[in-house]
Amino acid sequence: MSTTALTYSQDIAELVRKSRETKTPLVDYGLAHRGLGHAPPNSHTAIQLTGGLIEHHVPDMTVRAHAGMKLGELQATLRENNQLLPIDADDDLSLGEILTHNVYGALRQGFGSVRDLVLGLSFIDGRGDDIAVGGRTVKNVAGLDVSRFMVGSLGQFGIVHTVTLRTSALPPQATWVELTGHDPGPFDALVRAALLTDANPQLVDCRYDAPRWVLRMGYLGKSAATAVQVRSLETLDDAHPDLHVTHTGHGDMRDLTRELSITRAWRRTAGALVKLVVPPNTTGRACRLLKEWSDSNHPLHIDALPPFGCVMTGGHLSAEQARSLDRVVRDVRRSLGGFAVWHARPGNDPSITPFSPEPSEMTVLRKLKHALDPDNLLNPGRML
Amino acid sequence: MPASAPTHPVIPELIRLLGPDAVLTDPQELRVYECDGFPIAKGLPTAVIFPRDTVQVAQAVGIITRHNLQVIPRGSGTGLAGGAVAYGSGVIVCTSRMTRIESIDLDNRVAVVQAGVLNTALSDAILHSGLRFSPDPSSQRASTIGGNAATNAGGINTLKHGVTTNHVLGVEFVTAQGEIVQTRATGLYDGVGPDLPALLCGSEGILGILTRIWCRLVPIPRHFRTMYAVFNDSQAACRSVADVIAAGLVPASMEMMDGQMVRVVEEAFHYGFPTDAQALLLIEIDGVERTLDGQLQQVVSICKHNGACDIQHCSDPTRRAELWSARKRAFGAIGRLARSYCTQDACLPRSALAKAIKEITEIGRRFGITLSNVFHAGDGNVHPILLFDEDNPDEVQNTLRCSEEILEYCITLGGTITGEHGVGVEKLHLMPKLFSPQTLRTFTDIKTALDPGHHINDGKLIPSDTLHIELMQPATPRSPGGAMVIG
Repeated sequence: MSTTALTYSQDIAELVRKSRETKTPLVDYGLAHRGLGHAPPNSHTAIQLTGGLIEHHVPDMTVRAHAGMKLGELQATLRENNQLLPIDADDDLSLGEILTHNVYGALRQGFGSVRDLVLGLSFIDGRGDDIAVGGRTVKNVAGLDVSRFMVGSLGQFGIVHTVTLRTSALPPQATWVELTGHDPGPFDALVRAALLTDANPQLVDCRYDAPRWVLRMGYLGKSAATAVQVRSLETLDDAHPDLHVTHTGHGDMRDLTRELSITRAWRRTAGALVKLVVPPNTTGRACRLLKEWSDSNHPLHIDALPPFGCVMTGGHLSAEQARSLDRVVRDVRRSLGGFAVWHARPGNDPSITPFSPEPSEMTVLRKLKHALDPDNLLNPGRML
Repeated sequence: MPASAPTHPVIPELIRLLGPDAVLTDPQELRVYECDGFPIAKGLPTAVIFPRDTVQVAQAVGIITRHNLQVIPRGSGTGLAGGAVAYGSGVIVCTSRMTRIESIDLDNRVAVVQAGVLNTALSDAILHSGLRFSPDPSSQRASTIGGNAATNAGGINTLKHGVTTNHVLGVEFVTAQGEIVQTRATGLYDGVGPDLPALLCGSEGILGILTRIWCRLVPIPRHFRTMYAVFNDSQAACRSVADVIAAGLVPASMEMMDGQMVRVVEEAFHYGFPTDAQALLLIEIDGVERTLDGQLQQVVSICKHNGACDIQHCSDPTRRAELWSARKRAFGAIGRLARSYCTQDACLPRSALAKAIKEITEIGRRFGITLSNVFHAGDGNVHPILLFDEDNPDEVQNTLRCSEEILEYCITLGGTITGEHGVGVEKLHLMPKLFSPQTLRTFTDIKTALDPGHHINDGKLIPSDTLHIELMQPATPRSPGGAMVIG
């Protein structure tokens, strides 16, 4: 099936209006999130947004761009003015995909997620109308906050075509410290302790890197400042004899970005990929339980963001193995709390439920979906 | 209930549900609830009720809507835009007795509170932990966390640490149908699907009544530098603000008082500020101790470069507390100048601040209105304070028209009509100047989806077809700004 590339609001609105007449759903599951949610209907028009920068207000540290602009292109433009969008995602993801799938990574600890960075956006609703919400000021409570509502909306409530985001100053240096151990359990306590000291990091993640677990904490800024923070972390580490500093990296943001992208590279080709979110202080336990399954079944990639309890796991699993992993994920949820979202299931296996939102929340979301997309044209059935 | 109390049939039902001590009907006592912190908008409620938990709220909403009355959510009534005024003889559902901190989970940095818990009560309860609930509106000792969330309240620390929505992980709310909905209510840092808590934050109670909040707790900054810079020219102070941001610095807060405000504060409280100043910037930096002096020097250099004539700084907690007390008491000091004041709340791109402040002063002059400014300069969030006599209908109308012109001007600079106070009824008439008809219809569609009968706080935040509130055309000279037409 061919994909229609679109940039401008008028073209998107026109396509939506035509789709209303022909009752043809419009589908955009993104580049890296095609497996997220229920599969699209067989008959649909596939769309993909493209585009570039609209305006960069350098002194105000805000940027407005087409939702189809790729993150890597935006970062290159911002870098010319010593700024960045502090979101670690793959360069080829569009801003719209990052927003509607709530993509975040290790930098969320220091800079927040896209929810904290979005100032305004425009979208085409299910009637083909162009809706603009928010603005370019850093504070704004005029009207309902539909901008943040769209974060994680999976393209079901409107086709976001323009976004306004706040930027940050490009840190002159990045320093990241890797601590390793045979068990991820102590990571949670160390991260919690660090948050209350000068060792409070701007980035945190952990991963299984056979045969050991690696906790990475990063500091961005001037070298004198990051040196103080690293020393503070080393002091904390002294209280954790099971963990050892095994690597300290230095570089600029591009070096750090490269490091972060290597950690998550496996996800793009994984046939099975699930995000598990648990209470943050049980991240290590969740990782350990997944590793136990991995040891006795099939090797898994596991990486996590301990401050947010977010664990990504998966790999090249058969349908049978994925179903077995799903059972373990459900056990972990029962034991620790939280929820899971499958980003990729082998063969879109219908026996694996992609996610299970709260029933009372679903009722409200269905009403809102009907308000914004009365004909159910936009990514129908993906979640609702 | 006194013998003279109104006898609307909803009242006995509410008393049966909540008990007589939780239903206020005495007209004299109801007067306390006829307005919030925006004294121009007034409306007497049929009753004020004080439920103690979510189930009581849900049952009360069922009763009130069955009688086809408006439900008006209210926390402490510190709102500044008339969002908690009971137009149309509605019933106010006051959360002030819902004050339980239900759980505190320090390991996961989450607290669950009933909506009526005061902002500072939560931070006070966890002071020993090194964590806090970060939103700090000026009203924080009086305002509720439910109210903070419903208005997406800002404050002094928001420049670096974010507004209320950045610190709300999940909410529980009661819909107009009396349903109890929990969204992202597991204290986790993520969720499935669109961000429903974000939609509820800042919705000014038009989508439902917030009853419980899952609050994110963050580390209390341990090290800081506080400074003030005095300027002979307010434009220079504004330029300094823009330059600090453009230099990539992110102070915890960057507040500004204009010359008139400096004089008022100094005469009232004697902090030692020069009374001939035209502007004063109060700036705080927090972070890693060894980095603060370097950052401070950068800010000092920028202020000097822009012509600051006096710069003082400190790391001493006592002096720091004094300086912030000056900022926080500024609004109180205004009472020395006039019986009533109206605080505007435009937000601008920071690079437009200097131009805007100049023009706002000029607009005030054209309307013959005394105007002061104390505001969150780092956020570009200006608070022109217009002084007037609320018993003089002409002054009220003049104040409203001056406010309108100020906000319209700010829109032309890429700004918005409210950065943190909300739209309420005060700025309703400006919404069509900020949003297209399609966008306004979308807001209404969202409201209708969750409240099909428009029973909850209708006529606030977005223009309503059924309850039209018009502040600019008073019904009678005795109720300036309180005019109302029910269509």
